[in-house]
Amino acid sequence: MNQEMLKLSNLVKRYDGFTAVDHLSFAVFEGEVFGLLGPNGAGKTTTIRAVMDIFKPDEGDIAVLGHAPAEARAHVGYLPEERGLYRDLRVLDVLVYLAELKGTARSVAHKRALSWLERVELVEWAGNKVKDLSRGMQQKVQFVASLVHDPQLLILDEPFAGLDPINVGLLKQLIRELQQEGKTIVLSAHQMNLVEALCDRIVLLNRGQAVLYGNLSDIKEQYAPKTVRLQTDGPANLEGLPGVVRIEPRDGQVSVLTLADGSAQDVLRALVERGVVLKTFEVGTAPLEEIFISVIKEGSRE
Amino acid sequence: MNKVWIIARHEYSINVRRAGFIVMTALVPILGIIGLLASTFLGGQVPAFLESQFASMPSKIGVVDELGTFTPILPAYQERYTLFGDEDAGRNAVRQGDVTALLVIPTDYVNSGKVMIVSKDSGLTAAKIEDSSSARQFFVDHLLRDQLDPALRQRLANPVNPVLVNLADEGGAGGKGVDAIASIMIPYFLAIMLVLTIFVTSGYLLRSVADEKVNRVIEVLLSSVSAWDLLAGKVLGLGALGLTQVVVWVGSALVIGRFGSVLHDINIPLLARPEVFALCLVYYLTGFLMYAVLMGSAGALGTTMQESQQLAGIFSFVAALPMIFAGFVFANPNMILVRIFSWFPLTAPTAMMLRIPMAEVPTIDIIGSIVMILLATPIILWAGSKVFRMGLLMYGKRPTMRQVWRTIREA
Repeated sequence: MNQEMLKLSNLVKRYDGFTAVDHLSFAVFEGEVFGLLGPNGAGKTTTIRAVMDIFKPDEGDIAVLGHAPAEARAHVGYLPEERGLYRDLRVLDVLVYLAELKGTARSVAHKRALSWLERVELVEWAGNKVKDLSRGMQQKVQFVASLVHDPQLLILDEPFAGLDPINVGLLKQLIRELQQEGKTIVLSAHQMNLVEALCDRIVLLNRGQAVLYGNLSDIKEQYAPKTVRLQTDGPANLEGLPGVVRIEPRDGQVSVLTLADGSAQDVLRALVERGVVLKTFEVGTAPLEEIFISVIKEGSRE
Repeated sequence: MNKVWIIARHEYSINVRRAGFIVMTALVPILGIIGLLASTFLGGQVPAFLESQFASMPSKIGVVDELGTFTPILPAYQERYTLFGDEDAGRNAVRQGDVTALLVIPTDYVNSGKVMIVSKDSGLTAAKIEDSSSARQFFVDHLLRDQLDPALRQRLANPVNPVLVNLADEGGAGGKGVDAIASIMIPYFLAIMLVLTIFVTSGYLLRSVADEKVNRVIEVLLSSVSAWDLLAGKVLGLGALGLTQVVVWVGSALVIGRFGSVLHDINIPLLARPEVFALCLVYYLTGFLMYAVLMGSAGALGTTMQESQQLAGIFSFVAALPMIFAGFVFANPNMILVRIFSWFPLTAPTAMMLRIPMAEVPTIDIIGSIVMILLATPIILWAGSKVFRMGLLMYGKRPTMRQVWRTIREA
C-alpha cells in the first residue's frame, strides 16, 4: 500500500518566462485514488503531460513506478482533457491500435477491448465508426482506450466533463472497481462532490504550486470550519448561541450555523436549555468546494 | 523500433483503402487497357496516331510567292497548297477560312530564310508548320525542283530518321523503329506520374498529421510513443504506400505490354535505359523522404486542416517549380535553369525525374544533385522532427515563425 507509484520532486516547467509549474512535489501511493485539483490554469495539465513524458520538465525529477517517465509509459494509462479519437476508424480498430502502441499484443488487445466495451455497454458499437457515436459514447470509448493495455497507473484528466448523470454514475462505479482491482488512479476533476466521493488523498494546485496536500479527511478536519445543520419545529430564536459566528437561514425552518471554535455539543446544550424543539441536528463540515475557494482566494490576496 | 512498425502498418492499412488512392492506382492500368484496345483498332498505328495528335499540320495552306520559285506548285502538293496572286487575297482567304494559314515567301527568301506565316491563331499554326516534316519537304522540293534524285531530296528535308536498337533484342528480329515522340513522351509521362505520387502520398501524410492534431488524438499518441517514432512510422508507412502505387503501375505496364505487340513501341523506351529507372527510383525515394518530413511538419504546425494545407502549399510550390517549367525541360533538358533546379535540394528530385528520361544528363549534375539531397535530408529530418514535436502540442494558436526558429536553434 505504501509503494510510491508516482513521485514528483521540485518539478518546474516554464513557458516563455511564465512559470506553469513551480517547484511542485507530491507522491501517489499504490492502490489509492489521488485527486489532482485546482482552478483552470493552475498547472494540472502541464504536470500530467510532464508525467506522461510528452515534454520534459525544466527542473526537478519525476519517478513513475520507480522509473523515468519514458520507461514507464507502457504501464500508464492516460485520458487527456483534450479529447479525441480517429473519427473515420472503427471503434475496435482504434482501441486495438492505441493498445498496440503501448506494447500490448494485437490478439490480447482485441480480446481486452471487447471485454471493456462490454463493461461500458458499447460492445454492439465495436464495428461502427467513431463518428457515428454520440459524444457521451465517444467519451466512454476514450476512457476504455486508456485501459486496454492494462496499466498499473491510470491518469484521468477531467473524465466526467460532458457526461450525463447516468454515465457519471457508471464511470464512478468503474473507478471504484478499478481501485478494488489494485489500480492506482490520479484523478483531475472540477466536480468536488465526485472528488469527495472517490479520492483518498489530494493535492490542490494554484498558480503552479501545491497549496493543499494530504489526506482528504485530514484536510477537511483541518480547514473546514465546523458547521451544524438543524431543523426546528416552528420558528425559533437562534441568536447568541455559544461559538456561532454565522447563521444562514434556509427553507423550511432549516438553518446552517457556522462555528468558530466551540463544539457542536455546546450549541446543542444551549438549544435544549432554550427549549427549542429540534427535528434534525446534524454536525457537518463545509463542502470541499468551499475549502478550496477560500484557500485559493486567500492565496490570491497575498 | 517495434512501435515505428506498428505505426507504419497502421498508416499503410488505413490509407490503402482510401478511394482517392485506389482510383489513382487504377488509373495507369485502366489507361493501359484503353491504349491496348485503341491500338488494336488502329492496327499498330499508335506512333503515327500520337504524331498526328501532337503535330498536326493545317490541311489547307495558302502561298504568296514573291520569289517566284514556288510557281507553279508541284502536282503532288496542289491538294494542300494554293497559290494567291498577292498578300491581300491570301489574307482574305485566311479570314474566310478557305485556308488555315498563309505563307508569304519574300524575294530575299533564299538569303534570309524568312517566311511570313499569317493565321488566325497565335503562333500555334506557325509552330506546327515549322516543325512539320511535310512542310520541309514542300520547301525542298520546290527550291530544288528536279535538280536532284527524289530520294536525296527527301533526305535533305528529313535527314535523320531515328532507329533505336535494343542490345538485348539484337539477336532476334533486329532493330526496331521507335518513334521519337513515343520514346520521349512515355518515360516523361511516367516521370510525371512518379512526381505526382510523391505529392499525393506526402499529402496523405499532411492529412494524417493534421487529422490527429485537429482530432486531439495526438495527446494520447504522444503519451505512448515519441514524436520521432510517430514521424518515422508515418513516413515509412506512407512511403510504402507510394511504392505500392509505382509497383502496380510499372507491373501493369509490363503485363499489358506483353499482350499487345503494338505496345512494344512503348515498352522499348522503358526497357532500353534501365539506369534511368534506377536513378528515378533514387530520386523518388529521397524526394519522398524530404517532402514527407516537410509535410509532416506543416501538418503539425497548422491548427486546422486548411491552415496546414496553406503551409504545405509553400513546399509543394517549390517542389513543383520544375513541373511548372516542364516546357523548358522538354525543350532543352540541359539548359541552365533546369540545371539550377537540379542542384537545389528541394527541387532536385522533381527536376531530375523529369530531366533524366529526356536526355543524357551530365554525370556531374547527377552526382551533384544526389550529394545535395544527401546533405539536405538529415538537416530537414532533424529540424523537421523538432518542429513537428513542438507544433503537435500547440492547440488553438499557430506558432510564430520566431518560435519555430527558436525551436530549431535550441534543439
